[in-house]
Amino acid sequence: MLLGKYMVNRKVLIYCAIFALTCAWLMPTCLAVDKRGAEEALADAEGALASAYGAVAEAESVGANVTELLSKLSLAGDLLAEANNTYRLGDYDGAYSYATNCSDTVEGIANQALNMKLEAEEIHGERLFFTAALSSTGLSALFVASLFGWRFSKKKYVKRVLEMKPEVRED
Amino acid sequence: MMSLEDFKLLYVLSCLGLGLIILSPTLAMVVKLPSGERFSELWLLGSGHMAEDYPFNVAEGQACKVYLGIGNHMGGLEYYKVYVKFRNQTEHLPDALNGTPSILDPVLEYRMFLRENEVWEREVLFSFEGISFDGNFCKVSSLVVDGCMLNVDKSAVWDEENHGFYFQLFFELWVYNNTLADFQYHNRFVWIWLNMTVSI
Repeated sequence: MLLGKYMVNRKVLIYCAIFALTCAWLMPTCLAVDKRGAEEALADAEGALASAYGAVAEAESVGANVTELLSKLSLAGDLLAEANNTYRLGDYDGAYSYATNCSDTVEGIANQALNMKLEAEEIHGERLFFTAALSSTGLSALFVASLFGWRFSKKKYVKRVLEMKPEVRED
Repeated sequence: MMSLEDFKLLYVLSCLGLGLIILSPTLAMVVKLPSGERFSELWLLGSGHMAEDYPFNVAEGQACKVYLGIGNHMGGLEYYKVYVKFRNQTEHLPDALNGTPSILDPVLEYRMFLRENEVWEREVLFSFEGISFDGNFCKVSSLVVDGCMLNVDKSAVWDEENHGFYFQLFFELWVYNNTLADFQYHNRFVWIWLNMTVSI
C-alpha cells in the first residue's frame, strides 16, 4: 500500500518535471517575435508616429504651444529609428520592443494636438474679433474726425488765402 | 501756396494713410504674405566642428568623428529622416539632377522633428572592423557607428589613379510628405571619401 502510494507520487513528480521542461523549452519560442511580428509592429509605430506628427504640425501652424508634444514626438522618433536599426541587424525582439515603445509614447498625442489646435483657433478667433472691433472703432472715429477736420482745415485754408496780400506783377 | 484741390487731395491721402495704419493689426492677422524660399540644410563637419579635418585614411579600429547637421527653413514643423549609407566606388550614389536617392539599403537611420529655423546636429562616431586586403582587393566587413556594429560586407578595387581603396560614407536627407503620407527623398546628401589603409 505504502509502496503503491510512493509509486503514484513518483509518477506525478516525473510528469511535473516533464511538463516543466517542456514549458521551459517552448516558452521562449512562444514569446520570441518573428520577422513578420516585428514588421507589423514597425508599420504600426510608423503609422502612429506619422499621424501624431500630422496633428502636431497642424496645431503648431495655428499657433498652439506644442513644445511638450514635440519632445514626446522626438523621443518616439528616436525609438522608431532604433527599432528600424535593430531590425536591420536581425534582432526582431529588440525591434518589436522599440516599436511598441514608440507606439506607446505617441498614444494620445494626436488627440491632445487636436484639442490644442481647437483651443488655439478659438483664441485666434477671439483675438481677431477684438482687433477687428478696435480697428472698426478706430476707422469710424477717423471718418467722423476727418469730416470735422476737413471743415476746420478748409476754413483755415480759406482764411489764410483771404489774409494774403495781393502782389502786383509788373509785365 | 497750393490750390484748394491739391490741399483736398493731400488731406484725403493723409486720412487714407492713417486709416491703413489703424487697420494694419487686423490685416496682419488675416492676410498671409508670401514667405521666402523654402529649403532644408544638410551639412557634415569634420572632427574640429569645421569644414576641414574630415577623416580620410582609415585603418581597422580607428575611431573617426564627424558632425551631421540639419536646418529647417521649410516654413513649419518638419519630420526628417537621415539614411546612413556605405558604398564602394562602383555602387550607386543619389542622383542630384533627377532627385532620386541611392538604391543602396541604409545601414542606419536617424529621425528628427524640427520647427521652422530650428537646427539639429549630432556627433557621429564611426570605425571599421574586419578590413582585409587581398592583392588588388580590399574588403570591409563591419562599420561601427555610435557603438553599434553594422554588417556592410563591401569590397573595393585598388584605384590606380588615386592610389587607394576608396569607399564612401554618405548621408541622405528624407522628409515626410503629409499629402503622400510617406517619406520623400529631399534631394540632399553629404558624403566623405574614405581610403582604407593597413593599421601600423
